[in-house]
Amino acid sequence: MTLIGQLALALALVLALYSIAANIYGMRRRRTDVLISARHALWAMAAMVALAACALWSGLLRSDFSLEYVASYSSTTLPTIYKITALWGGQQGSLLLWTLLLSLFTAIVAFQTRDRNAEIAPYVLIVMAGVAVFFLGMLNLVTRPFDAMMPAPAQGTDLNPLLQNYWMAIHPPSLYTGYVSTTVPFAFGCAALLSGRLDDGWIRSTRRWALFSWFFLTLGNMFGARWAYEVLGWGGYWAWDPVENAAFMPWLVMTAYLHSVMVQERKDMLKVWNLALIGLAFALTLFGTFITRSGVISSVHSFTQSGLGPYFLTFLLTVVVGYSGLLLSRLRELRSPAELESYLSREAAFLFNNLILVGIAFAVFWGTIFPVISEAVRGVKITVGPPFFNKVNGPLALALIFLMGVGPLIAWRRASRKNLVQNFAAPAVTGILTGLLAFAGGVHQWYVLTGLSLAAFVLGTVVVEFERGVLARGRMVHEKPPRALVNLVAKNNRRYGGYIVHIGVVFAFVAIIGSSFFKTEIKRSVREGQSFDVGPYRLVYLGLSPLDTPHLENLSARLSVMRKGRMVEVLEPAKLLYKRQQQPATKVAIRSTLAADLYVVLAGVDDKSGLVTFDVFLTPLVSWLWLGGLTMALGTVVTIWPNAREREAIAAAARRRIAELEREVAVEVRPT
Amino acid sequence: MRIKPRFLIGAGLIIAAIIYLIVLGIRSTSEYYLTVDEAVARQTGLMGQAVRVAGRVKAGSIRWDPAALALSFAIAPLPPQDGAKIEPISVHPPQEIQVVCKGQPKPDMFAAGRDVIVEGHLTAHNFVTADQVMTSCPSKYRAKKTG
Repeated sequence: MTLIGQLALALALVLALYSIAANIYGMRRRRTDVLISARHALWAMAAMVALAACALWSGLLRSDFSLEYVASYSSTTLPTIYKITALWGGQQGSLLLWTLLLSLFTAIVAFQTRDRNAEIAPYVLIVMAGVAVFFLGMLNLVTRPFDAMMPAPAQGTDLNPLLQNYWMAIHPPSLYTGYVSTTVPFAFGCAALLSGRLDDGWIRSTRRWALFSWFFLTLGNMFGARWAYEVLGWGGYWAWDPVENAAFMPWLVMTAYLHSVMVQERKDMLKVWNLALIGLAFALTLFGTFITRSGVISSVHSFTQSGLGPYFLTFLLTVVVGYSGLLLSRLRELRSPAELESYLSREAAFLFNNLILVGIAFAVFWGTIFPVISEAVRGVKITVGPPFFNKVNGPLALALIFLMGVGPLIAWRRASRKNLVQNFAAPAVTGILTGLLAFAGGVHQWYVLTGLSLAAFVLGTVVVEFERGVLARGRMVHEKPPRALVNLVAKNNRRYGGYIVHIGVVFAFVAIIGSSFFKTEIKRSVREGQSFDVGPYRLVYLGLSPLDTPHLENLSARLSVMRKGRMVEVLEPAKLLYKRQQQPATKVAIRSTLAADLYVVLAGVDDKSGLVTFDVFLTPLVSWLWLGGLTMALGTVVTIWPNAREREAIAAAARRRIAELEREVAVEVRPT
Repeated sequence: MRIKPRFLIGAGLIIAAIIYLIVLGIRSTSEYYLTVDEAVARQTGLMGQAVRVAGRVKAGSIRWDPAALALSFAIAPLPPQDGAKIEPISVHPPQEIQVVCKGQPKPDMFAAGRDVIVEGHLTAHNFVTADQVMTSCPSKYRAKKTG
């Protein structure tokens, strides 16, 4: 198995290098057969990487401890599902997963471009294979997943207990899928710059890929937050840890990108900006991997220093410098004749939304690397914690939410007074009323009042849009509302899918407000039979029940949850001890409702005194965060859904291009 | 795209606002991140400041009162990382800092010999009053998310 895996990875590296060389040669000499061979090499590369991954999985499932990786991240008592997910439980394996996804996407792009985008396809494939060469080089030379362990131990050290959780099973693959798929639009952007075909073809060809990436970045971030919420037992879901920031920044930049490309498609503006954004998004995915793998920034969660830092930094700098140079060299050709006409226009709203999104990404970046910078400049490490990120991003989030309401409804080019009144009067009134109601209801923090008003404003704009569309269909094709609604979304899926995403963002925003401003925490040490109150609940501590399995010890406390004198649920928060690593962990018990979560942690058991300590949080609205994330994902699926009109437009563009080429050929041929 | 001057003003204002927020945020929220040695050496200048101190929990120094949720212990400097050059034996007496943390449950992985980060304020000579004690397993604990 070791040998198969190692050979497969070595072959994959050779194939990637060959493909680059063949693409260059094929382009220079106009040899279609060589270009086809280059494409086939990428398919073979993907097959080799898949084989390597299967070899490692096989080692994990068979508990083959002669592999160092298996011995370090698995054990015989580890449940099967976590043996599978242990593939990304350690560094070598997570890089293998990254490479696997990258080579699969490369193979798919090679397939998609076999009869499309013939002029830029070789460039695209060269860039993607180039990225693959870096990762395969790391796997072959620096951090090898198939190193042997001599002699093989009888038992493995086991997977980190914190990773033995179902959210952790799906979080890294989602996030990695999101990370790695930014490579596709990035490669097309590079190809546009390299080939000089600077129209919006590269954007149109990769619209789905960009949305695909955003879909998984959204889910990846949300699963990560959910994992932190359920597993770490501190009652929160986001701590602005460097690792979290690393996942959040590409999401922000991709969000900006998805909006600004619409301006280019519509108005032929922001060309340089779009190319810069996709470069930035790709660089941030590398940066994310760099900071989590290098130990340069000490996160509470990644103490381990590994030797990967310098390699990643070198690659990252090469990408940034190379891409910037490329972009600068084409700057003159990228000038656009169109220009911004009015502040009251959709272009302007999108431009400002982009500035704010990139601004937030920059603030997060700055806060993340600040310790390193302060140490270099002033010789002392100064960190900024969550208060910094909340202080900076709070106001920016308000501006962003406001623009999210304005952007989709305001007219392109220049909005008339009529357009403004028609679109925004009702939502604005809704927003203000919501704010007043909240104030009357006893909410007095300015941020909460503004945030809730803006959230209601955005929801109002979305409702206005849906209502208008449904009424129009009723008038024009005589459809009744439910059917009209379905057809409205189906026939204009890009637009209405976007609105659904916006609704999801509002849900998440309201959840963040509710959980940040109105969370209560109570810590109590009690004896059996004693009770205490948390918000509307009374918790009665019933006793401890231990459970012992070969894999772990589980000590759970039973609490009866009463509301208005009636028992509504029995919660069992627990302390776990994973035997292999002798590492304790916490199992949180949560009673989740749409209004609030009751979150109970068994914080301590003192054998001497018989006292048991509970840490209890009552967090309003936090469920809406997960609902919001799912709504965003649903909306993205709607916008991605195949659309006959769009396919026709791409085909028409291709036909035009072919006709153009034929004319050129005819002109070349005529003089002879 | 050419951008008319009046739009540059708008964009400039947004960028200025973002930079202002960042500068203000850094000023008001930054805390010193120190090792035990650094904290001991610079403490006169840092008295009352927000600090984070990284160190290793000293064996035999832990006192935990579950009823009052009061935890006190001492931290010593972290030994040099693997691969770092071995430092000569110091002529100074070993440095340590006393920590008291009240109102928080004892973290799961807290034990003698574990590496911790203590977040709080320097309140007396060689003494930190902590709001939070964060633990990490020194040997096995890799990235919390594998990302």
